[in-house]
Amino acid sequence: MTLTYRFISLIGGSSLLFKETVRQIFRGKYEWNATFYQIYAVGVASFPVVMVTTMSIGMVMALQFGIGLAKFGGSLYIPKIVSLSVIKEFGPVFASIMVAARVGSGMTSEIGSMVVTEQVNAIQALGTSPIKKIVVPRVVGLFIALPVLCVAANILGVLGGFIVGVHDLGLDPMFYYQKIFETLKVSDYLSGFGKTFFFALMISVFACYYGLNVKVGTKEVGYATTKSVVTSCIAIMIGDYFLTKLFWLFEVWI
Amino acid sequence: MAKEIEFKNFKKSFGQKAVHEDISFSVEKGECLGLLGGSGAGKSVILKSLIGLMKPDSGSIFLEGQDITLLNEDEMVEIRKQVAYVFQNGALFDSMTVFDNLAYPLREHTTLTESEIEKRVHDLLNEFNLATDDLLYPGELSGGMQKRVGMARSIILGPEVVLYDEPTAGLDPFNIRRIQEMILAMKAKGVTSIFVTHDMPSAFACCDRIALLRKGRIVHVESVEKLKQNDTGMINDFVNGMTA
Repeated sequence: MTLTYRFISLIGGSSLLFKETVRQIFRGKYEWNATFYQIYAVGVASFPVVMVTTMSIGMVMALQFGIGLAKFGGSLYIPKIVSLSVIKEFGPVFASIMVAARVGSGMTSEIGSMVVTEQVNAIQALGTSPIKKIVVPRVVGLFIALPVLCVAANILGVLGGFIVGVHDLGLDPMFYYQKIFETLKVSDYLSGFGKTFFFALMISVFACYYGLNVKVGTKEVGYATTKSVVTSCIAIMIGDYFLTKLFWLFEVWI
Repeated sequence: MAKEIEFKNFKKSFGQKAVHEDISFSVEKGECLGLLGGSGAGKSVILKSLIGLMKPDSGSIFLEGQDITLLNEDEMVEIRKQVAYVFQNGALFDSMTVFDNLAYPLREHTTLTESEIEKRVHDLLNEFNLATDDLLYPGELSGGMQKRVGMARSIILGPEVVLYDEPTAGLDPFNIRRIQEMILAMKAKGVTSIFVTHDMPSAFACCDRIALLRKGRIVHVESVEKLKQNDTGMINDFVNGMTA
């Protein structure tokens, strides 16, 4: 099977899955309990790993820029550079990548195992839709939880930069604080935050697509899980470029 | 008697491999048809096609005169309420307790209150000798118990047709006997069924007729009465391990 064929299958299959997911959201009784469970599983349970990652990113950036810019007397720009980078890019992207790795892999392996043990067939045989029962709560759950995680990631990333800026680089706390709020505009925040809705859809739809396409044995569940995480991460990276451009055009237009 | 299920020129392939080349047979209302065939002969494919989990490449499947191969996924939901599928390994939802597994079809397809659902589930659990296991998860049950829970879940809506996919495979004689009794009880209620199995004593105990599937075709259909009288022929050769 060629790479082109697999790529077209992925885009076509996941698009159809997304279309059916949207259709199923508005059909019949909504699965609130399953959705709340997914919000918990994605949001609350992923919070520590996202917190550690984005805080570390903020700290490392402040340190690197602090060392680099000190040579040119540019240490005063650290609050601006770090907060802007975290809010517009690193917070949303790293939070999404960590969620893709932690949650996307879990979704694929769980759904894949359900396929292997015929639970997905059983849902269908009992006259219900596997998309409604399995996919919808996961897609909606992640669509709600990831932006919330992004907010936390942004705050902690900026806080990480603040701690290093004040503690290690000797910047005045009040100065650092003022510069963050002078630099950041609402549009900066929204352009980063807005991306996470798209990333949430990418992660959850790819994860469910690979899970549902497991055909045989548990060995394939492992392959599907790997493919799901790799595809989501690549999609986040490539998608980030286009979304950045889109939001930039939107900002210019406004 | 009226035909409840009819396969006409049913064909199904997986890639290059043709599993079913030309399957034609029928099951009458209230009848239990045993379906025999070697491993990989495609017995489960026939059952799954009957509830739309698989689509045939060509041919027709009639259920009470309606060609279900022409139905879309939404229309198949109504068919699936009438046709129960008993999975080989139970296919229980492992995130739910036994009670919730059984309550699932009732919560989805009926307007019963929770107390009515509770009563219906416990009545059925009593019938299946699982009364004290309602709060257990599938992972905590033995293979035989999982099959019985799977069977109970399948029939809780009172289906007109039940498809049994090797329900006695891998069970001890005591549990096989229990499953046989449950199949006979369903038959006594007038339920039409197809019973895929390799377990000949169970097939003889529960079925009216037995069909032999070989090389993608139904090669022989015989009543159990005649098979018991005559120990020659294709089906007895298969039963005695003389042919695959």
